[in-house]
Amino acid sequence: MAAEPYDVIIVGSGAGGGMSAYHLTHAGLKVLLLEAGRHYDPVTETPMFNTNAEAPLRGEGTPDKPFGFYDATVDGGWQVPNEPYTVAEGSEPFVWWRPRMLGGRTNHWGRIALRFGPLDFKPRSRDGLGYDWPITYDDLAPWYDKTERLIGVSGAAPPRGLTNTPDSPEGCLMESAPPRAFEVFYARAFKAMGIPVIPMHGAVVTGHMAGRNTCLFATPCGRGCAIGANFQSTTVLLPPAMATGNLTIRPKSLVYEVELDKAGKASGVAFVDRKTGEHHSASARAVVLAAGSGETARILLNSKSSRFPDGLANTHGMVGRYLMDSVGLTVAGQFPAMEGLPPTNDDGQGTQHTYVPWWGYDRQKELGFPRGYHIEIGGGRRMPSMPLAGVLDSDDLSVGDELRANLRRRFGSVIGFDGRGEMIPNDDCYCELDPKVTDKWGVPVLRFHWKWGESETRQAGHMVETFLAVIDKLGGKPLGKVQTDGAKAISKGGEMIHEVGTARMGARETDSVVNAFGQSWAVPNLFVTDGAVLVSSPDKNPTLSILALAWRSSDHLATLAKQGAL
Amino acid sequence: MSQPLPTDPPPEPEAPRPYVSRIDRRTALAWVGVVGAAAAVGAGVVVYGRKFGGQPAVEAKGYGTDPDLVKPAPAPWPRIMTRAQLDTAAAVCDHILPAAAAAPSARALGVPDFLNEWVSAPYPDQRKDRPLILSGLDRLASRSQRLHGKAIAALSAAERTALIGPMAAAKGADLAFFRRVRRLVIGAYYTTPAGFKDIGYIGNVARARDPGPSAAVLAHLERELAKLGL
Repeated sequence: MAAEPYDVIIVGSGAGGGMSAYHLTHAGLKVLLLEAGRHYDPVTETPMFNTNAEAPLRGEGTPDKPFGFYDATVDGGWQVPNEPYTVAEGSEPFVWWRPRMLGGRTNHWGRIALRFGPLDFKPRSRDGLGYDWPITYDDLAPWYDKTERLIGVSGAAPPRGLTNTPDSPEGCLMESAPPRAFEVFYARAFKAMGIPVIPMHGAVVTGHMAGRNTCLFATPCGRGCAIGANFQSTTVLLPPAMATGNLTIRPKSLVYEVELDKAGKASGVAFVDRKTGEHHSASARAVVLAAGSGETARILLNSKSSRFPDGLANTHGMVGRYLMDSVGLTVAGQFPAMEGLPPTNDDGQGTQHTYVPWWGYDRQKELGFPRGYHIEIGGGRRMPSMPLAGVLDSDDLSVGDELRANLRRRFGSVIGFDGRGEMIPNDDCYCELDPKVTDKWGVPVLRFHWKWGESETRQAGHMVETFLAVIDKLGGKPLGKVQTDGAKAISKGGEMIHEVGTARMGARETDSVVNAFGQSWAVPNLFVTDGAVLVSSPDKNPTLSILALAWRSSDHLATLAKQGAL
Repeated sequence: MSQPLPTDPPPEPEAPRPYVSRIDRRTALAWVGVVGAAAAVGAGVVVYGRKFGGQPAVEAKGYGTDPDLVKPAPAPWPRIMTRAQLDTAAAVCDHILPAAAAAPSARALGVPDFLNEWVSAPYPDQRKDRPLILSGLDRLASRSQRLHGKAIAALSAAERTALIGPMAAAKGADLAFFRRVRRLVIGAYYTTPAGFKDIGYIGNVARARDPGPSAAVLAHLERELAKLGL
């Protein structure tokens, strides 16, 4: 174990914290990584190939394991025992997914690894809405390249030059597995509608990659991967960081405050041991917050001092502001044309093999909503789970041989269309400290405020319209009652688990918390490297961008450390 | 890694009989430690819960937020079905998924035990199902006595069909019960390896590469797409 004083303390071990630890330890800095959850080892703890029949309740989700028994999430979900959060009266619903484990949400994430595009960094310049980033796509592009090469991403394809849908340079991506039957099928409808279908960018090793195992094309990524064939902080970032000899990991350490020295620089952090309840301090020359957008904001807001009475780096009231998520909803259809296929193995590579990027950039005005969405499409003959009977007609009450035949025929004939859309930041979406409620250790918790804008609810309505049109074109019928009113069909705030933007980066101290390198304006040796720094929340899932930004910011931090400028 | 689910069940005799639980003795004895009442029946052990209508005095604990995922322990909560309810559940399983030419019955796969595990679970969705399922089972049991003068386990296949079949055409509580219990039986059955085989799921095997759909699958799709004008 490296001894104190550490060069850097990193709070959180997910995408942002894991990448920061990877780079800073390789740069020769002594790093203490504090993780609120327990130690977690995907090699021994991943239920690869387990059947649902082996799990309680056939693996169905419960309040203890909301995404199902085998979901990788440890000690968390929509609620974490002893660590509540609240939603303000009068707010629209908001939910917050938190695990308590090494590697955080990278253990169970969807592995969709899309780059933000050039327009995503300059939304205000594009249409006057939202805010511009202090960086451009070109600033981040080299870091996307490096990140894709490090974590392993599939989706290689000849350059297409689609608007705001970057092609990765040659050598960054591996080829995806071929489209499965349902992917071949749906692509034809989109093609007829003039909408492109292209390979998904998935953080899965689909071909030969030095030092990595190739996917087994079986067993869901959401359980994690014992052979490290997909990207998890715990398989890809933390083991090599440990191997440098420069990393100390302290699990079960819930950080609640950044401590300052007399000169106003960060001197370390205070944390509570979640097992013993004892309070500790640790000191270092720099502090990196990567606890997840919500928790990072909470730490800053709880770090009160005479100089920062409203929370650290919050002189301009920017901490907790511009909280964003993705717009999301699903419509599923059943397709007679997919019935009775010859035997086929649809387990695939874990992520979708193909997807539909947003196609309406030049038609936003006529569409009546300013920002777009991409479509993630699931289907095929996946391992049966408890809701299997949902493939049958709702009035089918057959039994015996007839039931068996109906199930065999319909198995794999349902396709689900998931929209994931951009949200424009607004003044009604933010988090703050709850004035009354504290966690088990007496630390004030977050209170969320949420309100979707019309830009989002109209976009959601368009998602439903599009999905119904595609289902119709493919000769299918939507499953269940479909809500066509976007304001009612739209997901809850936080439900897409893309909550970002509570300590955004900017060009000026007055309207941002950190600069273009994640460095706090107020405390120069304090950095933020998680999704909190995002200025916009494009339709593209945020993890790849969080990784690339964390790498870029950590490189800046390492350079400052070498210059003695911390 | 697997729980004792028989993949090659013995042929089922024609004569009806009480359901023999497929829960192993050690597991059942662990529940006894919690509820303090048990009785041995045949090869298995069945834990007698309260008669229908009574919820457990104290709701049991779930499996917690950090269970062993690789080797899951059996669901830890005590089972609450009575002997009669379990027998009725087995009869319902026989009605929905009896043995087929090349596939075992739901009974042989232990689905009645699963229904017991489900309605006994302390979680909100399952607690919501509990009165619906248990009251439906109790109605069937009393109808069996009234119509045939015998317990449901003693009915012939024809009598059983006559008793349970009309529920699919009923309204209200009977239909709600039948819909729900059928979904649970289907889910429980097809999540087993025998269910995979019956429905045609051939995945969950390691592969060096994913070759994509076969020529036969693609030909099927092209035929269907042509019909759709695509």
